[in-house]
Amino acid sequence: MPDSGYPWPISMTRLDNGLRVVVSEDRTAPAVAVNLWYDVGSRHEPAGQTGFAHLFEHLMFEGSMNVAKTEHMKLVQGAGGSLNATTNPDRTNYFETVPAEHLELALWLEADRMGGLVPALTQETLDNQRDVVKNERRQRYENVPYGDAWLRLLPLLYPPGHPYHHATIGSMADLNAADLATFQAFHQTYYAPNNAVLTVVGDTSVDEVVALAEKYFGAIPARAEIPPAPDGRVVPSTGVPATETVVADVPAPRVYVAHRTHPFGSPGYDVVTVLAAVLGSGRGSRLYQRLADGERIAQPDLVGAYGVDLAHAPAPLIATVTARPGVSGQRLAAGLAEVVDELVTVPVTAAELDRAKALLTTAWWRQMSTVDGRADALGRYATQFGDPATVADRLPAWLAVTADQIAEAAAEVLAADDRVTLIYHPEEKP
Amino acid sequence: MTLIADRPGPGAARPYRFPQVVRRTVAGGQVVAAHLPGQNLAVALLLLDAGAGREPVGSEGLGGVLAKALEEGTVERDATAYALAIEALGTELVTGLDWDTFQASVQVPVDRLGAAVELLAEAVRTPKLDPEDVRRVRDDEATALRMDWANPGPRADAVLRADLFGVDNRWGRPMYGTPDSVAALDAEDVTVFHSEWFIRPGALVVAGDLDRIDLDALAAAAFAGTVGGPVDRGAPIEVPLHANRRIILVDRPGSVQSTLRLGHPAPHRAHPDYVPIALAGTVLGGAFTSRLNHLIREVRGYTYGIRGDFASSRRFGRFAVSSGVQTAVTAPALVEAVGEIARTQAGGVTEDELAVARSWRAGQLSVELQSPRAIAGALTTLVVHDLPDDYHARLRESLLAADVAQVSAAAAAHLHPESLTLVVEGDAALIRDDLAATDLGELVDHTP
Repeated sequence: MPDSGYPWPISMTRLDNGLRVVVSEDRTAPAVAVNLWYDVGSRHEPAGQTGFAHLFEHLMFEGSMNVAKTEHMKLVQGAGGSLNATTNPDRTNYFETVPAEHLELALWLEADRMGGLVPALTQETLDNQRDVVKNERRQRYENVPYGDAWLRLLPLLYPPGHPYHHATIGSMADLNAADLATFQAFHQTYYAPNNAVLTVVGDTSVDEVVALAEKYFGAIPARAEIPPAPDGRVVPSTGVPATETVVADVPAPRVYVAHRTHPFGSPGYDVVTVLAAVLGSGRGSRLYQRLADGERIAQPDLVGAYGVDLAHAPAPLIATVTARPGVSGQRLAAGLAEVVDELVTVPVTAAELDRAKALLTTAWWRQMSTVDGRADALGRYATQFGDPATVADRLPAWLAVTADQIAEAAAEVLAADDRVTLIYHPEEKP
Repeated sequence: MTLIADRPGPGAARPYRFPQVVRRTVAGGQVVAAHLPGQNLAVALLLLDAGAGREPVGSEGLGGVLAKALEEGTVERDATAYALAIEALGTELVTGLDWDTFQASVQVPVDRLGAAVELLAEAVRTPKLDPEDVRRVRDDEATALRMDWANPGPRADAVLRADLFGVDNRWGRPMYGTPDSVAALDAEDVTVFHSEWFIRPGALVVAGDLDRIDLDALAAAAFAGTVGGPVDRGAPIEVPLHANRRIILVDRPGSVQSTLRLGHPAPHRAHPDYVPIALAGTVLGGAFTSRLNHLIREVRGYTYGIRGDFASSRRFGRFAVSSGVQTAVTAPALVEAVGEIARTQAGGVTEDELAVARSWRAGQLSVELQSPRAIAGALTTLVVHDLPDDYHARLRESLLAADVAQVSAAAAAHLHPESLTLVVEGDAALIRDDLAATDLGELVDHTP
């Protein structure tokens, strides 16, 4: 068993304004990854403002005090870099990987939009990016079969008022109602150095990064009070299974089963991660062996189970299967429920456990094989657990999970009377 | 003021390095490896001259079905035992197909690479191919394609391809076939295709820490029992341009977006203009800052994204633009996209735009070629297109040296706005009149 999932150096320095600067030197390739985690996500959005954290992420690319509209992308790509940003319920991250000689440019750009976005924010930009985000919603969620599954599962898993109740993409009505002042206030509230972690990984040194961070970010003032998101750590069990049936223009019946488990980063969630791999990763998984191969009621390419790595409330475990031709949604749902229930009654074998751990080990080293993968991981552990070095503990923790722990976790979090089931049926075609 | 207004310039440039390449010939097969010192993960990829271009017309999808059938058991063990054996090493058998090659690969912690390659070879070289299993896999593949074709895009892609290359040619039909072509395949065709193309040695691509990898042992496993040698790859195909631009409308009732697929034929991979063509494509539609994305997304707000590029295989290529736009603005989005293509063809690129495009493409060779998987992909390019070990370093130099005159000339010569086929997949009842009212060209309804 490896004693570390992160065999590279890690340092963390806190600037006077609260910005945490994480550095991991690796001179293997002449590239650096720059990654900023802001501790704000859709869990912070009040009712009526769903989708705002994500729309805001778009606005961060539209210029700031010293960067003209459209210049951000042009400067990073013109330096040979790759860049993007993502928003999820927990947080918003911004990242670019550039040839090492352009590190200073990347830090200047990130500092300018952390400290100087609001003066550059215009109604025209907001209107344009609102249209872009509405198109994103159409493309990803509305115009594809089963595209709205995630939007339907969240409110079944988390009650109204819970920070994970609504999806990050937000509602069309809320997006339409978004006004400029709200976004200016959003930046002033959450985009503060003491609410962010700056991570740099690659062909650089701790001294260089800390000096540059001080130079570009050092004078951005801290914000005294950053309002927390609602506390979602305790979600009372309803004791009643929730089932939603959807008749839609889909090519085959599909079933999702979802449960609330434990927050990402907790020992309980490590067990759930291994459990999910036993249940749904690969052709050797229980779902594949039982439903795709054994009973042959599920399409082999569309079988899976995974945890959604959210850290601020019990995170979801989702299992899904899609029917082979001639198989009804009811039969498929019964088959899926049976395999999930058996995690409690049929002990996981040593071979199943080894297989799951081997697949997780490869997945881990795959993320660690690039400087950008490492930077995002360090930013996560610094933001969510206060110490980037804890990144090294995850892989050993997965490898220490036992079959008994999986059976206990299954009994604890996969109870049928606290299960969410979402079933899609194809429309009857004339 | 708390922020520093002046944009910093670049520091001292680091020299570009592509990993050291090692080539060997073992047992009639080629080994091409890249040394990644200290890397814990390794990738091995077996490359066979068995791409979709080798499938007979009327048997589209043969390679895809065979790829799945490889995992339905081998002469050594049944499907479940095979899955458990390979997944216990931490990898699945990953298969891939393009016009030129069939690929099967494994990705594992480096100390397990030998065992993983043995299992890879077992599936590729000695699959059981029981006819009953093959028929089931074929039916599953047809179902999987039906699922995929329920999404917007695959139908539009097929319609564009057929119109560009001719539906009577294999390369005028979808790479993975259609739901119907796959459903009609015969189990015996799959076995014959395997015996014809999958027991030739091919090439083994390896990316990992070569100090911890025994290349000769990997090659011995990958090439054991192989027979035959390389087969003529065929010359580049001359594809005529259409005389007139036209719109083909593919109905998708209820669609909240229209899927756009615009294109025309373009040069094959070995064309001498490869670098200026790639840069012209980058300025027009390749990067986020491209002309198309700037106008259609950032200025107009019609889409979440639009991109265009030139793509090429050994025998043919194409220029294509793809996007999903809001239904109500389908016609203006189409008109403006065609306008940008025409403007680029007529007026070429500016130094400002080209500076971004060439630095971006050159920089991507450092930034995107990090993981063993990405390096293996770069090695695959060397093998498929007969390129030298220092190809990526030379490519970088060519990209950085390309000037406005060369790239503008490539845009003028290789963009053909008057010959474009404009495929629109959307709610025909809502968009037909608007499309007919444009002066883009004749409007044709696609009939399945």
